[in-house]
Amino acid sequence: MVKVYSFEACPWCTKVKKYLSSKGVEYEVRDIELNEDYAKECLQISGDTMVPVTTIDGKNFVLGFDKEKLDELIAG
Amino acid sequence: MGVYDFTVKTNKGVEKSLADYKGKVLLIVNTASKCGFTPQFEGLQGLYKKYKDKGLEILGFPCNQFAAQDPGTAEEIQSFCKLNYGVTFQIFEKGDVRGETAQPLFKYLTSQKKFEGFDEKNPMTAVLVDALQKNFPEYLEGDGIKWNFTKFLIDKNGEVSARFEPTTNPADIAPEIEKLL
Repeated sequence: MVKVYSFEACPWCTKVKKYLSSKGVEYEVRDIELNEDYAKECLQISGDTMVPVTTIDGKNFVLGFDKEKLDELIAG
Repeated sequence: MGVYDFTVKTNKGVEKSLADYKGKVLLIVNTASKCGFTPQFEGLQGLYKKYKDKGLEILGFPCNQFAAQDPGTAEEIQSFCKLNYGVTFQIFEKGDVRGETAQPLFKYLTSQKKFEGFDEKNPMTAVLVDALQKNFPEYLEGDGIKWNFTKFLIDKNGEVSARFEPTTNPADIAPEIEKLL
């Protein structure tokens, strides 16, 4: 399952979510503003609280809205 | 009227008189936790860690006035947003910082230290000025706050010592802080 660490008012997060939807990819939204545990997870994965962070396994991740890297992640 | 005459509310809703900070050097900043044009939380946190024990306090005032107004060129700069998670300096209640609806503290601060231009050495200056000219030309006029992360330095006696625009990186303020500590 693809997880998108994000928060509501983050336009780049919205772009990632829309892009994944357009590719028919299901994903789980993990809001780091509303949920402190998700914020900590995000911090562990990327070392920062910048979002969007998109990951499947919690190790490999894509920071920001980068179509090529998202494609690689989904294909991987 | 001075900085110590103002009472503000923390992000937990607790009233706080700025007189509680007498004898400290203060850096008062309007912050944006969302997609700030110039995210400087890390730099500010760095200053706080370095000078906290020597008597520096950083007071962050979140403001949404600029948040929904991402410059069109933002895409070229970054494609992510940052939450202010991990910041240990004091964050206050969200409020306006410019115009009629500005909090009294920010009306006072901008009356004490006028706008004297952006840091021309910072490559972000051209981008910010361009975005303001295109989208909010009125922001460039007068002494009001131009964008997120405008920083006011207050000395130990409560005098507004300096104003730094969003285009001044927190680390570059260090020498000015050291002079006042």
